Amino acid sequence: MTGVARIEQFKLPDLGEGLTEGEILKWLVAVGDTVTLNQPIVEVETAKAAVEIPAKWAGKVTQIFHEEGTTVEVGAPIIAIDTQPDAGDVPDTSTPSAAALAAVEVAPAEGAVEPGLIGGPAPGGRTAVLVGYGPRTAAAKRRPRKGVPEPAAASAAPVEAPARVEPPARVEPPVPAPVEAEPVDNGRLGGGVLAKPPVRKLAKDLGVDLGTLTGSGPQGSITRDDVQAAASGTGPAPAAATAPTFGADREQRIPIKGVRKLMAENMVASAFTAPHVTMFLQVDVTRTVRAVDRLRGMRDWRDVRVSPLLIVAKAILTAIPRYPMVNSTWSGDSGEIVVKEYVNLGIAAATERGLIVPNIKDAGRLPLRELADAMNALVDTARSGRTAPADMSGGTFTITNVGVFGVDTGTPILPPGEAAILAFGAIRETPWVHKGKIKVRQVTTLGLSFDHRIIDGELGSRFLRDVAAFLADPEAALLSWG
Amino acid sequence: MAETLTLGKALNIGLRRAMERDPKVILMGEDIGKLGGVFRITDGLQKDFGDPRVIDTPLAESGIIGTAVGLAIRGYRPVCEIQFDGFVYPAFDQIVSQVAKMHYRSQGKVRLPIVIRIPFGGGIGAVEHHSESPEAYFSHTAGLKVVACANPADAYTMIQQAIESDDPIVFFEPKRRYWEKGEVDTDAPLSDAYPLHASRVIREGQDATVLAYGPMVRTALDAATAAAEDGRSLEVVDLRTLSPLDLGPVFDSVRRTGRCVVVHEAPSNVGLGAEIVARITQECFYSLEAPVLRVTGFNTPYPAARVEEEFLPDLDRVLDAVDRTYGW
Amino acid sequence: MAKGEPSVATKRPEDKTARARASGDPPAEPEFVQLLTPDGDRVEHPDYAVDFTDEEYRGLYRDLVIVRKLDAEATALQRQGELGIWASLLGQEAAQVGSGRALREQDMAFPTYREHGVLYCRGIDPIMPLGLFRGVDQGGWDPNEFKFNMYTIVIGAQTLHATGYAMGVALDGKVGNGGPDSDSEAVIAYFGDGASAQGDVNEAFVWATVFNAPIVFFCQNNQYAISQPIERQTRVPLYQRAAGFGFPGIRVDGNDVLASYAVTRAALDDARHGQGPSLIEAYTYRMGAHTTSDDPTRYRIASEVDAWQAKDPIKRVRLYLEKQELADDGFFADVDAQAQREAVHLRERVLSMPNPDPAQMFDNVYAHGSPLLDSERAEFAEYVASFEGSAH
Repeated sequence: MTGVARIEQFKLPDLGEGLTEGEILKWLVAVGDTVTLNQPIVEVETAKAAVEIPAKWAGKVTQIFHEEGTTVEVGAPIIAIDTQPDAGDVPDTSTPSAAALAAVEVAPAEGAVEPGLIGGPAPGGRTAVLVGYGPRTAAAKRRPRKGVPEPAAASAAPVEAPARVEPPARVEPPVPAPVEAEPVDNGRLGGGVLAKPPVRKLAKDLGVDLGTLTGSGPQGSITRDDVQAAASGTGPAPAAATAPTFGADREQRIPIKGVRKLMAENMVASAFTAPHVTMFLQVDVTRTVRAVDRLRGMRDWRDVRVSPLLIVAKAILTAIPRYPMVNSTWSGDSGEIVVKEYVNLGIAAATERGLIVPNIKDAGRLPLRELADAMNALVDTARSGRTAPADMSGGTFTITNVGVFGVDTGTPILPPGEAAILAFGAIRETPWVHKGKIKVRQVTTLGLSFDHRIIDGELGSRFLRDVAAFLADPEAALLSWG
Repeated sequence: MAETLTLGKALNIGLRRAMERDPKVILMGEDIGKLGGVFRITDGLQKDFGDPRVIDTPLAESGIIGTAVGLAIRGYRPVCEIQFDGFVYPAFDQIVSQVAKMHYRSQGKVRLPIVIRIPFGGGIGAVEHHSESPEAYFSHTAGLKVVACANPADAYTMIQQAIESDDPIVFFEPKRRYWEKGEVDTDAPLSDAYPLHASRVIREGQDATVLAYGPMVRTALDAATAAAEDGRSLEVVDLRTLSPLDLGPVFDSVRRTGRCVVVHEAPSNVGLGAEIVARITQECFYSLEAPVLRVTGFNTPYPAARVEEEFLPDLDRVLDAVDRTYGW
Repeated sequence: MAKGEPSVATKRPEDKTARARASGDPPAEPEFVQLLTPDGDRVEHPDYAVDFTDEEYRGLYRDLVIVRKLDAEATALQRQGELGIWASLLGQEAAQVGSGRALREQDMAFPTYREHGVLYCRGIDPIMPLGLFRGVDQGGWDPNEFKFNMYTIVIGAQTLHATGYAMGVALDGKVGNGGPDSDSEAVIAYFGDGASAQGDVNEAFVWATVFNAPIVFFCQNNQYAISQPIERQTRVPLYQRAAGFGFPGIRVDGNDVLASYAVTRAALDDARHGQGPSLIEAYTYRMGAHTTSDDPTRYRIASEVDAWQAKDPIKRVRLYLEKQELADDGFFADVDAQAQREAVHLRERVLSMPNPDPAQMFDNVYAHGSPLLDSERAEFAEYVASFEGSAH
């Protein structure tokens, strides 16, 4: 009986040339009736005529789907016939299997495989195979999840326990255990520091010791941000940014750790290793201010932010070649002073996360316009917290613009590895002796701190005077020193 | 009492103990009776336990395993010997289609407490098909358990534990180590023995973790000895159980050392090392200083005897891998 | 060869059947043990006889009818999508009922995947294998509880299991315990003509003969292995293969329930009394397809099927009962009604088989469990619970 299912559902055929529906006029049989092949079972009215439909199979009527008077679409089942009425109880025709069987065309199109045979249609919308239900075609659609699934790493990834799978009666012998793992503290499982491999590489490249950091990542692991913050020598936003919360004893205790700790260590290392001497010089920078205005007015400079800081930078870059020792490093380990020809000019920048000192590589070779672009980019990047680690290392000379804080000058501390740092203070209108008369001029104070092991007072003074001279008359300086 | 025994002799005595304990334990294999086995592992057992319990079988590996299934259904505990690793393949269907699946398909009603002993690995200067490492095929098959002993003490206890287990176990024996000696306490009760499906740290160290099983455990220990002279301390773990793997101690070790090298004779492609590396990477990701490296046989059929020493991992290749883990 | 010397070589077998088939002639009637002709007449055989009561004859008929009816019901269920697949035994009822009824209670049977008739005759609930074909389980039951192994789908593998089991019977001392009421045990291994080519079956023959195992190898030669005719599996009649291995082989009319019974009974008794293995080739025909999606019209001709239809195993028993006046219309109606009831009962239970809980996938892989599976099971449970609409 290949191809004929037990319960056949008869679907309303197209009764004449592209009709889409028909109305059930009159049932000629009822549920429970026995029908023979070709016995008329129903009258259907179409748009064209009233038509009698003969039974496609012999058997017993098990279900009538639509009442008289209903309009039915072509292709919808209208009657079900039990083709083996003597074979015992009829299975529930509303089960998926019977409905799916109705999907099996009894008269296959040419070339198609007969239902139920290999390659042919099978119940449930599958394709028949020799060995089972056959493959099903599924829609390419995801099932909806509850909420947001946790990332795999954070979910309870099962930790493997030793496979003690022998019968429970056996008593476990005391096994000589290896060194006990340290209790989980500060994210150090098993005594080691936790950090993803890429973060470890970053730390190595930046010269950051992972062991000194506290991790803010999963399982207490150290993140990329943690490393970068440590490398910039600054820590997270200082406690002053948020109001202190005092305890009952009216004291707040802030743990010294992480970036702050590192920064402090660096500072201490620098301050108490290199003997710092600071020299000050007041300068009339009126001509610098005018030069800046002139630049702003130039067509080519219209899109560029220009400030006196640019001229200060140029002044320094112009002076360094004449006093190369100010651009060097005291290297006690190797027993040498390393003097550099390239100037990686660091600009201390105040950001939300604190002070960072990104530097412009080989700034001495940049024409003024490119120097301006580089300085603006550097500041913008720093303010948005996106300074790349490489830009924060390798500096050789630093300018710290304390003027933005509104103070006149300061005694800056050398960044580790540098020989000199210039503090550039606020520019104020000040009474000044100019060409023999008292005039109101734009005056600022320069403060130069230097490593007295490398730079003596005379060198420091002369360098500072040259920088000041540039700022006093930039045009003359450029003419004279290029 | 501790005796100094070869690994082969330790297996022999272990089999004897198992047979003494349980009359349902029977041995079957080619040449295991009168000859005592081509490696003498079953020497003297047929004489003492008789022909029906130590069966010299026809030359038919599928037959050995297939009849063992029937015997197990009948209530026996067959211990089958496959004479050489390269000859297990005719029995592969019975092992993976029948032995592995029957407990599952019977929903636990059928138990097949079958042990399939297979001498494996190379390094004995043999001709083709006598130096294979087929452990991955069986470890990959759900329903089988797979273990590998590496020293006489473990051989003695593990063979008895395997026979006692109600699960089917493929029991790999490192044939090149059959004649190496070690201390074995043949009086200690089996219940005191180290568990069968557990790995073990056999040498402590701080600088890197080396994982091995079967014949490569000795190689790994030798590498650690040599490394110590260079001032590097290696921790060596004998995996012992290949399916299920017991990686808890391995994870602990890698979290301490941050570096790991896996050693096996079988080729790297889709070998056991690949599975181990995947799991270590997943569980120990934050602890890794370097990727987990594998030192394995090459992805060729096992070569001719006169170049096999170049093919097999040796002390130098293991230490080279350890060095490379320091290059990241 | 000189006269009087023992022959040291065998001749090539004649290829009569293949040539006959190629030429379109019907195959020559094979020689086999027969006790009941297709027309329902009893014939004598010098070595085999049955001594049944009237009730027993009627009982055989009842078994045959019910077995066929249940098989047909399962086929219908497959057509309706209630079973993924069904391997029908249509045409092979006599071989299975005959050999099945020959087994003593203490004997052990190792079936293939088509021995639903033997299963029925062992008094096992016919619902048992249906889980396998429906896909709700893998057809697992305790072989020792039912003295009937799980169905084995890998062709021929079970013959080795049966041989090992038989070796175990001998080890247990359950062979040759004498007398007609002895508790000695025998083992029967079922396999088909196709399986006879498999290495495992041939290894089983070697082992059985070498160890003198108490086993009967029962081959239902139903002429086809899916689409391959018997000539593709052997060049000699299957029963003659046994001689090469050193044990007796015999061919029986597999459509004759009486002969199947008699020959199997004798072989089992030989085995249980320590005579060792034997091979029975039950010569029969697979009237249906290999399984429900197979299309036999692609590889065999209608006239062949018709010829075998004339040798129907059930018809001849009915004719015998009628001719011998051992049964009346009331009896036949009663048998049909009982068959119908059992079929309906089977259908109902198939339709109400519950789908397995997916979490059960992880159970019973090992007797002693495994930590990897424990973690997989737990992960899977979490994963399933993460979907909307899950019960969690």
